[in-house]
Amino acid sequence: MKKLLNKTLRTFAIYSLFVLATSVPAYYYVVDFIWLNELDEHNEIIAHRIENGLNKLNLSQAELDQSIILWNKVQPGSNLEKAVNTSNTKPQIYTISKQKPFSNVNNLGRFRCLKKNIEIQKEPFILTIETNVEETEETVVAIAIITFLFFILLVAGFLFLNRRLSVRLWKPFRDTLAKLKTFNLNNQSIITFEKTDTFEFEELNDALTKLLQHNISVYNSQKEFTENASHELQTPLAIIKNKLDLLIQNETITARQYQIIEEINRALTRITRINKNLLLLAKIENKQFNAHENINFSHLAKSCINQLKEHSDNKQIAVQINIAPDVIVDGNRTLIEMLLNNLLLNAIRHNTQNGTITIAVNHHQLIVSNSGSKALKNDALFKRFANSSNEKFGSGLGLAIIKQICIRHQWAIGYHFDGSEHQFTIQF
Amino acid sequence: MKILIVEDETELAQSIADYLSEENYLCEFAINFKQALTKIETYNYDCILLDIMLPDGNGMAILEELKKQGKQDGVIIISAKDALDDKIKGLQLGADDYLIKPFHLSELAARIYSLIRRKQFGNSNTFFQNELQIDLLAKTVLVNGKIINLTKKEFDLLLYFIGNKNRIISKSTLAEHLSGDFADMLDNHDFIYAHIKNLKKKLKEAGCDTYLKTVYGTGYKWEV
Repeated sequence: MKKLLNKTLRTFAIYSLFVLATSVPAYYYVVDFIWLNELDEHNEIIAHRIENGLNKLNLSQAELDQSIILWNKVQPGSNLEKAVNTSNTKPQIYTISKQKPFSNVNNLGRFRCLKKNIEIQKEPFILTIETNVEETEETVVAIAIITFLFFILLVAGFLFLNRRLSVRLWKPFRDTLAKLKTFNLNNQSIITFEKTDTFEFEELNDALTKLLQHNISVYNSQKEFTENASHELQTPLAIIKNKLDLLIQNETITARQYQIIEEINRALTRITRINKNLLLLAKIENKQFNAHENINFSHLAKSCINQLKEHSDNKQIAVQINIAPDVIVDGNRTLIEMLLNNLLLNAIRHNTQNGTITIAVNHHQLIVSNSGSKALKNDALFKRFANSSNEKFGSGLGLAIIKQICIRHQWAIGYHFDGSEHQFTIQF
Repeated sequence: MKILIVEDETELAQSIADYLSEENYLCEFAINFKQALTKIETYNYDCILLDIMLPDGNGMAILEELKKQGKQDGVIIISAKDALDDKIKGLQLGADDYLIKPFHLSELAARIYSLIRRKQFGNSNTFFQNELQIDLLAKTVLVNGKIINLTKKEFDLLLYFIGNKNRIISKSTLAEHLSGDFADMLDNHDFIYAHIKNLKKKLKEAGCDTYLKTVYGTGYKWEV
């Protein structure tokens, strides 16, 4: 993943490389054009000066010839000779490459030349002037190097500005993102985004605020529904229960009718239990069990085991206890007691006749294992009404509650089946 | 014995009254906060059953009112709310007990019974029935003057029956009473059978009459 600004930076860098690269020949042609023009002018002036200078001297023919020979010797850049053919009197301008004078290495130089007919004391002469001009490749290389340096400067500038901009420009975006990351639907706290003067971010914040508010209200109404529905069910359940209590007092009912009432009673107890558990789940999720204290987990575990002893005895289950003394945990007493009772009851209910239960507690974890024959379906284990074991009793919410209590205390719960034993592990 | 039932659900109030009336309790009703307030100002009750969620007010305020007037009426809160905070607050405000809906009428009757015994007999709270003598404070049971040793649960069951005499109580009701919240999570209620068997045996061995009868196979009745 690349950062957004780095993506634009790459494009910008490539574009500027392209522009600067095309500027190299452009610069070269312009520079060379000016350069040659300037030299042509320069050659013209020199030719003019030579013509004037030699004419002003008023030399005799012999002196003139002498001077021209001398001239040609001391001025290697120019050449003066008698015109043989006077028909072509137009000045010629051209560029040649030749060995540079006074250079001992083999070094070709570029020369700008002017070949012009001049008159010295009424005699036609051909004057050739050669002026060294910078070689093409040297100019190109110089321009390219400078362009490249500017390119480096440009990219460095982009990078620097980018960094500065990304801090400043994206600050509102980062704020929004950080707040979104901390948002938890369970927390009930509506987040407010900081005001920004960037139109796009402001629009984003508005959209997010609306989305979050909608989510919170849907979530709340769903939770309220569970809570309200559970509450509303209590009264009719109470009425049915009480009417049944009255009904069995009736002296005319038969044993069969009594059994039916008893069956209704059992089903009713189950509904009541489901209802209570749904309410409990809603309450844990609503963080209504805020109180917490240091709890001697070892004591609590032992007392829960004792409470349920008669039920394990009833099934001839051997209970092995391996509890380290004085394991202290921070948590909600009601919930932790519920967690232990649920785990232990599960271990008793899902046990085989003459089976075993092992409860191990140390400072890091609680392990409850019990004998069993078939592994529970792991994926749906902690879901509500998942019924991972196909059994008829229970509310289908026991493990969901255990899971919620673990989440509430930030403990991790795991399940493992090794062929003959179910094992639940809770890491504190 | 006069009992005030403060409950806006008339069906529920009527069921409670039906069950209790056979016990020589005289039940009166208040279906809202206002009525309840008028009644407690005017009369004294042995026991008030108080629903704290009333349409026109919170039942807790009635507790405060009773306290202000210095009344000694026993109060059992019956609430649909299973909240520890409410329970603690109610008991602090002077309620004697807290029962969560839905409950069995026998459970309510047992609690009313022990509440009234406590209120009326104070320190010498002893129940007599022919050869049977139960000291409710010391939690001892004597048959023909001889102490018999009952476990906590057996004693608990005995009191439950005494509070519901001549009433049929089903095994599942007793299971709920003894195991509280997780009765429905147990695959069978045979543990009740074991407790009842032991209780019967101990009473019989001490020479107590068989007041505790089994009816319809799985129901029980304390016959006097």
